Amino acid sequence: MGGLIGNRLTNLRFVCPAAAPFLAKVLGPILAIASLLIVFKPEAHAVPSYSRQTGLPCATCHFAPPELTAFGRKFKLDGYVFTTKPEVTDEKKDHNAALHLLEVFPLSIVFDTSFTATKSPQPATQNGNFQFPQDVSLFLAGAWGSHVGSFAQVTYTVKGDHFSWDNTDVRYANKEHEFFGKAVTYGIMFNNNPTVEDLWNSTPAWGFPFTASNVSPTPTAKAIINGALGQDVAGLGGYAMWNEHFYVAGTVYRSQHIGGPQPNPGTGSIFNIRGFAPYWRLAWETSTKNNNLEIGTYGMHVKSSPGAITGPTDSYTDWAFDFQYDRTLPQFKNDVLSFRGTYIRENSSLGASFAAGGAAQPGHHLNTLQGNAEYHYGTKLSGTIGLFHVTGTTDPLLFPPALVFGSATGDPHSNGYILNVSWWPEQNIDLAVQYTGYTRFNGGGTNYDGTGRNAGANNAVFLLGRFVF
Amino acid sequence: MGRIFLRIAPASIFICAATLAFPFCLKADSDAAKVYKTNCALCHAADGSGETASGKALNAKDLRSPEAQAKSDAELAGVIAKGTGKMPAFGQKLSADVIKSLVAYLRALPKKK
Repeated sequence: MGGLIGNRLTNLRFVCPAAAPFLAKVLGPILAIASLLIVFKPEAHAVPSYSRQTGLPCATCHFAPPELTAFGRKFKLDGYVFTTKPEVTDEKKDHNAALHLLEVFPLSIVFDTSFTATKSPQPATQNGNFQFPQDVSLFLAGAWGSHVGSFAQVTYTVKGDHFSWDNTDVRYANKEHEFFGKAVTYGIMFNNNPTVEDLWNSTPAWGFPFTASNVSPTPTAKAIINGALGQDVAGLGGYAMWNEHFYVAGTVYRSQHIGGPQPNPGTGSIFNIRGFAPYWRLAWETSTKNNNLEIGTYGMHVKSSPGAITGPTDSYTDWAFDFQYDRTLPQFKNDVLSFRGTYIRENSSLGASFAAGGAAQPGHHLNTLQGNAEYHYGTKLSGTIGLFHVTGTTDPLLFPPALVFGSATGDPHSNGYILNVSWWPEQNIDLAVQYTGYTRFNGGGTNYDGTGRNAGANNAVFLLGRFVF
Repeated sequence: MGRIFLRIAPASIFICAATLAFPFCLKADSDAAKVYKTNCALCHAADGSGETASGKALNAKDLRSPEAQAKSDAELAGVIAKGTGKMPAFGQKLSADVIKSLVAYLRALPKKK
C-alpha cells in the first residue's frame, strides 16, 4: 500500500512551540500535500539496462514490473551483476587488481504520464489533473564490476519541477562460497529507504500499489517504516541468503535530508535520527516448480528529535510480518496468481511531542494491515485487488482537524480498497487504470475532517501511461 | 558528535569486517567453479541439478542427467555460446577457451553427486 500517504507533520510544532497553531492549521495541510508529492512519489523497479546487461527479457525477472520472479530476486541478491554481454576485462593476476566493466553503460529511463480525478475536488483546486509527465526517472542500474552493482534512481517530478535523488540500492555481493555445505550469498549494501533492499513485493518499498497518483488525498497516519523515511536517510547494511531458504538483512540508518543544509541542523525536518536507526529483516522462502512461498518479519527502531538534532526524543518501534505466495498455473499457459500481505505494528513513545504540546499522551500505537491478490494473464495483463486497514491511538493533537488531510476526531482509522488493471502491450509499456476507494478516512466515513468532507470524496481514478526504455 | 561517531563507527566497522571476514570460514572454489557459479549456478544450481528457485521456475536442465551428459562437447559448447529456450547466449561474454573449460567442468558434475 505504497500509496497510503501519511505524515506526522504536527511534530513540527516542536520546532517552534509558540507557532504551533499556525503550523498545524495553516502550514500543516500544505506541507502534507508537499510531503505527499515529494516523499511518496510512485516508484519504478524494472529497467531495461538490466535486460541489456543480461540479454534476457523483462519477463524473466518480473511477473509484471516491479514484481520479482525467483530469477529476479536472485539477480538482485547477487548484486545486479549477472551478465551475458561483453565486458572490458582484465583478470586478477598476482598482486594486480581485476577489471570487469560493462561495454554498454547501464542507463535507463522511465517516463510516466497520468490523469487523476477524485470523486469530489479538493477545495479551490482543479479536479481531473493531467500530468505530462507525472515524473521522469533516470536509472544507473547494472553491474559496476564483478561483485558490485546498483539500482540508483533520480526522478524529475512535475510538482517540484526538478530532479531529485530517489530510491537507491548499491550493493557488493559474493556468491562463490558455501556454508555448512550449502550455497550462501552475502553482501554489503548502501541504500536510502528501509525495505528498498528487500527481495519480495510484500514489504513497503516495492509493495502494492506499484504505481500511484501523486495528487489524490491519502490518509494521514502511516508507520515510520512504511515509506516515511524514504530518500531521507542513508544506510549501510549487510545481508545473507543461505541455502535459498533463509534470508537475513540488517541496516543502520542516519538522517541525510537531501536538499537540506549540510551538515544537518535538524531544523525543518520531522525526523532527525538520533544515533542510528537499526532495520532488520528475516525471511524464509521455499519453492517448487509452480509454487513460491515466503514468510518473514522486518522492523525498525527510530529515535528522533523533531525539528532538532538535540533535546527530547520521540521513539518508534515497528514490528512487521509479511508473506508472499506466487502460484504458476500450467493449465492456464503459466499464468501466475499472487497473494501478498503485511501487518505492521508501530509502538511509539512521543515524549518530545507530548512535552511540547503536540501529542495528547506519549504512548501511541498504529496497526497497519494490507493485502492484495493479483492475477497475471501472461505478461500482457494483470488485475489486482488490494485492501488496507489502519487503526491506532486516537490523539486530537497528533491528528488535528484540517481541511481534507485532517481528522475531526483525532482518530487515525482508515480503510479502503485499491483496484488496478495494467495492460502491457509491450513488456516495457504499462497502461494502467486504478481506482482507490475509502470507506473510512482519518477516523470517519462522513465529515471526517470537520469541514463536511466524506471519506468517499477522496475516491480516485488514476490513469497511467508508463514508458520504460 | 563524538558520541554519535562512537556509536555508529563500531556498527559500521562490524558490518564491513564481518562481511569481509566471512569468506575465511567458507569453502572456496576453483577458477572453473567460479565461472560456473558466476554464470550458470543462478539457474542450474551449484551441483548442476537445476534445483534452484529460478531453475525450477524456468525448467533448467539437470546438467548431471544422462540426457545432458549424452550431448557431445561441441553440442554443449554450442548451447552455452548460443543459448537455447529460456537460456541466454554466453558467446559474447565467454571466450571459446573458457567455454571449453566450462564443458569440462560440466562433465565432472555427475561424479560429484
